[in-house]
Amino acid sequence: MKKDNLKQFYKEFPSNPDARVKALKSILEKEGLIDQKALDEILDTYQNKVGPLNGAKIVAKAWANKKFKEDLINNTDQVLKDMDLNGRQGEHVVVVENTETVHNLIVCTLCSCYPWPLLGLPPSWYKSDAYRSRAVREPREVLNDFNVKLPISKKVKVWDSTSEIRYLVLPQQPPTSKGLSENELVSWVTRDSMIGTGFPKPPLGE
Amino acid sequence: MAKAHDMGGRFDTRRIDITSSDVKFKADWEKEVFALTLALGFSSLWNLDRSRYARESLEPKDYLQFGYYEKWLAGLINLLGENGIIKDRTESEDKFKKSSFRVLEAKNVKKLLHMGGPTKRDSTTEKNFNLGETVSVRANNSNTKIEKGHTRLPDYVKGRTGKVIAYHGSHVFPDANAHFLGESPEALYSIEFKSQDLWAKCEHVEDTVVVDLWESYLEKFK
Repeated sequence: MKKDNLKQFYKEFPSNPDARVKALKSILEKEGLIDQKALDEILDTYQNKVGPLNGAKIVAKAWANKKFKEDLINNTDQVLKDMDLNGRQGEHVVVVENTETVHNLIVCTLCSCYPWPLLGLPPSWYKSDAYRSRAVREPREVLNDFNVKLPISKKVKVWDSTSEIRYLVLPQQPPTSKGLSENELVSWVTRDSMIGTGFPKPPLGE
Repeated sequence: MAKAHDMGGRFDTRRIDITSSDVKFKADWEKEVFALTLALGFSSLWNLDRSRYARESLEPKDYLQFGYYEKWLAGLINLLGENGIIKDRTESEDKFKKSSFRVLEAKNVKKLLHMGGPTKRDSTTEKNFNLGETVSVRANNSNTKIEKGHTRLPDYVKGRTGKVIAYHGSHVFPDANAHFLGESPEALYSIEFKSQDLWAKCEHVEDTVVVDLWESYLEKFK
């Protein structure tokens, strides 16, 4: 059987991560392999432009519009493309709907796959060893840590993102929000409700 | 034994720390690592599967002790090393050819991030399993071509039995692509497992876990 001899070059670098990045960057700069403006633009994109508001808009629209919801679930990638919400780490998306009998929960046990164009970068707990190891084995205990309690009548369905398919939970619309406009509904949709570790809730101040 | 990164189902009693969950970066160096990793990922010297393999292949004790972006940083250095951009003390030869390196320019960032890297391929490869069919997962989850190679078949489902609930077409096969053995697209399915078939102690008999698995990870149920 063949071997892959990827070597551990990182050990030759300073162990302090701050010093390690500086050492790496100076090599890359010397070789002319990076453009600082490009790096700034990448950071600006994920710090300021892409975030859970994108996902919230889709969920609110699905709550307000039955036809859109059907399209979103059955023809997800095309719908996201039409809304300009596709992109890196959201090339292939599956929307899973919470119902009276099913509660969906998303995890990536092998790394930290997450639908970036819809939710932005993952929160630190999503990347933690505890979440990655426990979510598939004891999802209800994990939900307890988020103060989410599920009735015994609901089945928990955990989605482990092992391929390039990214998952988004379509939470149930809270009964008290019925009749609100799509725009008003956006602020009810929390990031955690689209991962399955929370529920939608009224915006602060209401 | 499962590799350090293959965490699904591992015994862990730590609570999930939901404080500061909106903090994207804990320090400036993390921002640098994030941006460098994405920018250099467009260099065309490696692919996403290779970069996952590079992170997974860190010394196990480092994988478990490093923070998230420390793993990214060490993985990135190893990738640059194998391409000759960072030189090993033992290497005298200059194997890096700058002409093959694509420097990411600011004007292309938006377009490239938007494009991403779709893995679905038009080629329709052999598809041996149907929706609703009961299937078995291979008993051994090692890469079949490369010793200790990359795979996306988690340890906790090997040898288990589940049901096909979705077919996603043909997708790039990570076990091959991570080692530059070609994209080798294969049929990709979502397989639903009953929690009680996976864990000695299961919380609820109705609960299930869905895992995306490629054709060659699966076998006919006997």
